[in-house]
Amino acid sequence: MQLIYLHGIAGGPALSPAMASLAAGGFDIVAPRLPGFDGRPGFQAPHDHLEWLTRVWDVLDETGALPCPVIGASIGAMFAAELAIFRPEAVTKVALLAPLGICDPAHLGVDLYALPGSQRLSTLFAGPVPAPFDTAFAELGEEQGVARYLAQVAGASLVWPIPDRDLDLRIHRIRRPSLVFWGALDKIAPVALAARWASDGSAVIVENAGHLLEWDAPELVAERLRRFIDDEG
Amino acid sequence: MKALWFHLMPYPALDERFDREARSAWVDLDASFLDGEVIHRAYNTYLDQLEHAAAAGFDGICVNEHHQSAYGMVPSPNLMAATLARNTERVAIVVMGNSIALYNPPVRVAEELAMIDVLSNGRLVAGFPVGTSMDTCYSYGINPGQLRARYAEAHDLIMQAWQSPKPFAFNGRYTKLRYVNSSPRPLQRPHPPVWIPGGGSSVETWDLAATHDYVYAYLSYYGYESGKLTMDGFWQYVTDRGLDDNPYRAAFLQFVCVADTDAEARTLYREPVEYFYRRTLKIGAGFEGAPGYQSEATFRSSLSSQVRRAARAVGGAPPTFDEIVDRGWVIAGSPDTVRERLNESITELRFGHLLCLVQIGNMRDELVRMNTTLFADKVLPGLRGRWPGYEDRWWPRACS
Repeated sequence: MQLIYLHGIAGGPALSPAMASLAAGGFDIVAPRLPGFDGRPGFQAPHDHLEWLTRVWDVLDETGALPCPVIGASIGAMFAAELAIFRPEAVTKVALLAPLGICDPAHLGVDLYALPGSQRLSTLFAGPVPAPFDTAFAELGEEQGVARYLAQVAGASLVWPIPDRDLDLRIHRIRRPSLVFWGALDKIAPVALAARWASDGSAVIVENAGHLLEWDAPELVAERLRRFIDDEG
Repeated sequence: MKALWFHLMPYPALDERFDREARSAWVDLDASFLDGEVIHRAYNTYLDQLEHAAAAGFDGICVNEHHQSAYGMVPSPNLMAATLARNTERVAIVVMGNSIALYNPPVRVAEELAMIDVLSNGRLVAGFPVGTSMDTCYSYGINPGQLRARYAEAHDLIMQAWQSPKPFAFNGRYTKLRYVNSSPRPLQRPHPPVWIPGGGSSVETWDLAATHDYVYAYLSYYGYESGKLTMDGFWQYVTDRGLDDNPYRAAFLQFVCVADTDAEARTLYREPVEYFYRRTLKIGAGFEGAPGYQSEATFRSSLSSQVRRAARAVGGAPPTFDEIVDRGWVIAGSPDTVRERLNESITELRFGHLLCLVQIGNMRDELVRMNTTLFADKVLPGLRGRWPGYEDRWWPRACS
């Protein structure tokens, strides 16, 4: 079965270990890079959220994979949710791993961009920064610095000044089967936000995992995703 | 050669608790570090100092804009400029902010600056900085990836609002207006002189100044030796665009500390200068460079060009006063010493407008006034004759 995976705010490697596990189990994972995260020169941040959606949907349509299950992480989960809200015919099931897009001042989390650059990546994980992130864009040689910068520009523009895009006004429009995951140790989107996305208490809380939980707890996340896609709903 | 007296209006009473507990003088400084009574006295003292500078013979007096900052306590420079317009007569009123990307609709900036120009009888110089990362992206929440586009759009709207003879519609990405018909229009026609202040790291700032024939004002805290790298880049950019080399295209900011002797200057100015570099320039890591604040082009140039070398030159822990003076970040000394070093920088950097930071850090009022008077009486006359034969086309005619 084909499914789409939308990466998180750090961009970086095409497949997380959780997705690799699903791929090894027979799923055909389509993992497009979101605009700006491919490091190509000339990226200009969209001027608003609607332009972001338009550009992301262009990317998704180009894959030819829709309709299918969509798994998103972090900002990728925000786009997956928007897809399920505005284009329900394109989504058969949606899994949201620590989605951004709803912010609660009472549970604000760390401002990633008020940290020194050297600390930003490590804040996204409960454990050490996975090695593939250290070598992201290494193949670009002298251009890798620019590519990393542009990926950060894209990420920042999606959550600036706070990671809220009014999703709370419309997530009730998600009518397809959905499952929310959250890392118990998420520093930038505290786990208290899980209840805003899954008010029935159905969110899967993953212990010892940070914001990019599919990297911190790949086997647990992969196993739960496999059940959701194969059996549930 | 013109000399302008530039006031940052810093909070003057940051103390050891600030050193211990605060991570930044910008953006998220706890209000408990700031005393309203201190600010009340400072505002009034600072305005008096600017008026004293005008009376002493400076050509222009400058205010600027910062937000959520003990480094500069003026979120609205237009309020300060309005007061100065009423209490001065011939001096240019130089507003070195408004950070025009911050205001929606930007016609508010067009209106307020036009009011100052009318109030002052045509003495306004309008500065349009992009603004620092701390002011724009963190304090005002502007998406850094959109900052330059917002700035460019606001600039176009303001210039049209000042010059269009009739009401017009504006259809921008960020501002859409059916009726733009700002009133009053500026007294200066077609518009007040426009200066573009910058911190030296933006290719876009050079481009804006060159494209529209504006003044580029390099606001350097690190003296003319590191400033030369940036100014050389600017002049090369101007030359490549086929523009003339009129030095009045450029302004340069320099700290100056004048005393009767070199030794006395090193004694008198040590504390306020160290206060500035160690306290008001304390910026939380991360705040200086929101991702997207630099364009791709500027980021590339910062990796490979003179800007990177300049950054290396100024990196490291806050230096001592003697190191600051020895590096030329602050020009301190007798009138002869200050005049000689300023003449060197004017020659090396090729600028016609000298922005003097005469009040620095927590400098007490008497010392500010002494510094101002010594500069005006004993330094400035020795600079006046620079750049004969060049016309300053970027200056209010009412102040010529």
